[in-house]
Amino acid sequence: MKETTVILAKDNLQGLLRKLGRDKSLVAPVTNQWGDTLYTEITDIDGTELDLSKQPQASLKGFFFPQQEVIQTYDTTAGYEFTPQRHIQPTLFFGVRSCDLHAVLYMDMIFSSPERDDAYFARRQDTTIITLACTTPFANCFCNATGSGPFMEYGYDLQLTDLGDRFLVEAGRQQGEQILQAWGHFFEPATEEDVQLQYQLSLEAGGRFQRKVEVEHACRILASGEVDEQIWQQLSARCADCGGCAYVCPTCTCFNIRDAQQEPSKGERIRSWDACTFSGFTRMAGGHNPINSDHALQRRFLHKLKYDVEKHGKPSCVGCGRCVDICFGHVDITTFIEAVVED
Amino acid sequence: MYTPKSAVIKEIISENHLVKTFRLSMVDSQGQTIPFRFEAGQFVMLSVPHRGEAPISISSIPANPSFFDLTIRKAGLLTSAIQEMAVGDHLGVRGPFGHGFPLDDLLGKDLLLVAGGIGLAPLKGVMESCLSWKKVKKLTDISLTLCYGSRTPEDICFRATIEKWQQDGVSCRLTVDEADPSWQGEEGLVTGLLADQSSSGDGYALVCGPPVMIRATIARLQAFGWSDEHILTTLERHMKCGVGVCGHCHLDNTMVCTDGPVFTLSQLQEMKVAELG
Ligand SMILES: Cc1cc2nc3c(=O)[nH]c(=O)nc-3n(C[C@H](O)[C@H](O)[C@H](O)COP(=O)(O)OP(=O)(O)OC[C@H]3O[C@@H](n4cnc5c(N)ncnc54)[C@H](O)[C@@H]3O)c2cc1C
Ligand code: SF4
Ligand code: FES
Repeated sequence: MKETTVILAKDNLQGLLRKLGRDKSLVAPVTNQWGDTLYTEITDIDGTELDLSKQPQASLKGFFFPQQEVIQTYDTTAGYEFTPQRHIQPTLFFGVRSCDLHAVLYMDMIFSSPERDDAYFARRQDTTIITLACTTPFANCFCNATGSGPFMEYGYDLQLTDLGDRFLVEAGRQQGEQILQAWGHFFEPATEEDVQLQYQLSLEAGGRFQRKVEVEHACRILASGEVDEQIWQQLSARCADCGGCAYVCPTCTCFNIRDAQQEPSKGERIRSWDACTFSGFTRMAGGHNPINSDHALQRRFLHKLKYDVEKHGKPSCVGCGRCVDICFGHVDITTFIEAVVED
Repeated sequence: MYTPKSAVIKEIISENHLVKTFRLSMVDSQGQTIPFRFEAGQFVMLSVPHRGEAPISISSIPANPSFFDLTIRKAGLLTSAIQEMAVGDHLGVRGPFGHGFPLDDLLGKDLLLVAGGIGLAPLKGVMESCLSWKKVKKLTDISLTLCYGSRTPEDICFRATIEKWQQDGVSCRLTVDEADPSWQGEEGLVTGLLADQSSSGDGYALVCGPPVMIRATIARLQAFGWSDEHILTTLERHMKCGVGVCGHCHLDNTMVCTDGPVFTLSQLQEMKVAELG
């Protein structure tokens, strides 16, 4: 058995998080008074109840790439000087789902090219991510079809699996191993049976997906051929141009940059989320738009299921299913995949 | 990557009622000029105080790194605000970005520029480079041609430059969509000037202008025997980052800001661009 696989009794979780939260901010899923489960910054671990039973409604995207952030301030008093703004906050994320960590690993790649994106990596640096494997996938989940869950194989600092009264804890990256070493007294050795049980649970989880989304099949079709024009038209006709899918999507990283004047000679340069599905996304000064409105959804679906497969060897949809919930026109990515496969 | 550097306006040339050329130098914190190197056809992301950024082509010859020109047409907020600025004012510049024209392939070859309106801006540096190469190498047998269309005589940009080119032996053919009493030259679309512009085989045709003009011009050039590899154009798209990340300039799997903005016709054909209809 690997030394990096241990047991954490559930009774010890609070104590461990209290220690880990001493030199880092702590973020974990909490259900608020309105019933929304969100990854939430926790300031008082003893007075906060974590909710590990639901899928957080928003991904981790906003922690590293906020919906709006000031990337520079500028000053025109003497010349025209820009000062980069960086937000560094060492943070430990606990209870992160596999799909969401896969998305963070994808963003790490996107924001590394052609150069390191300083604003993103200022927030991302010095963070620790502890995942919770999904033994029971949620209603819209299909991460099994995108190769991004329900259990992680790499990329986590620690991965926890719920074994009932205890968690099996695996250390992936160095930071996870350091936690096991530094806080050894919270953990016990794992037995052969514990590891067997985790394996059993991962097999069962694979059989518990309620949706069967044929991602690989669709990617193969997209790699080799054109999508029937009618599919684009039908989907675009039902798209309300709200951008909700791109906003909840943990891997949608398109952005806008604009200036906001604060004083006669000072202002801020703001980066904010954008969505390629917006009709204004490609519109140029004078009103010309090189992308016709029937193809508003084309970029989003092909980027995830075709271009990223060509570029990075796998689709950049992580199967979290959030867009299924948010789209009232039912033109989320699973509808597209079904249409392509059926065609 | 996203932090603009300071540039100062050294000179302003009014091209017409909507267009001005700004000669800029990059400066350090002491106001000393610092070199700025670029290729003809590349663009910068230009910051204007409180108005954000816009992609603008560099319109000058790349030979002298101590200054560069931006020729800007009033189109909206940023491009109007800059028209009010004066010599000595500061601007922000990121870049240069994108791939320019393949000058190594173009020098010493026959060259045909086909431009509409301000579309001449990104091509201008190429003509100047080829012209000075022709002079230095004393190449008497290569032909340099400009076919340039404007809406009205008032809209013609780069008049002084075109006159100088003419004196230097460039065949400059101008046309306007709508003539006025002062206009002695040709009338009609720029494609009308292409009738005898057949390909010399290894010559290059560079095209830039509004999408319809690009489409019509390319069709003509193909009909006159120009090969798809020797027709080059530069595309305009909505751009925010200039470095391939923000997504705005997407064209299938291509990002115009980093993979372009200069493309050969063969490349465009693979991408199904709006410019080809
Ligand atoms: C590679 C390239 C080279 C260009 N070269 C020149 C040039 O040499 N001279 C020139 O006059 N113009 C050029 N343009 C067009 C110029 O960028 C637009 O006219 C300018 O962005 C309009 O900004 P505005 O604020 O004045 O217009 P507004 O209509 O007020 O802008 C509205 C918003 O849309 C965005 N936007 C609109 N059109 C574009 C666009 N084409 N690209 C990016 N963002 C856009 C702006 O950023 C702004 O946020 C070029 C465009 C590209 C892509
Ligand atoms: S998509 Fe997979 S990893 Fe994400 S919450 Fe659902 S089951 Fe868990
Ligand atoms: S301008 Fe941002 S990707 Fe091209």
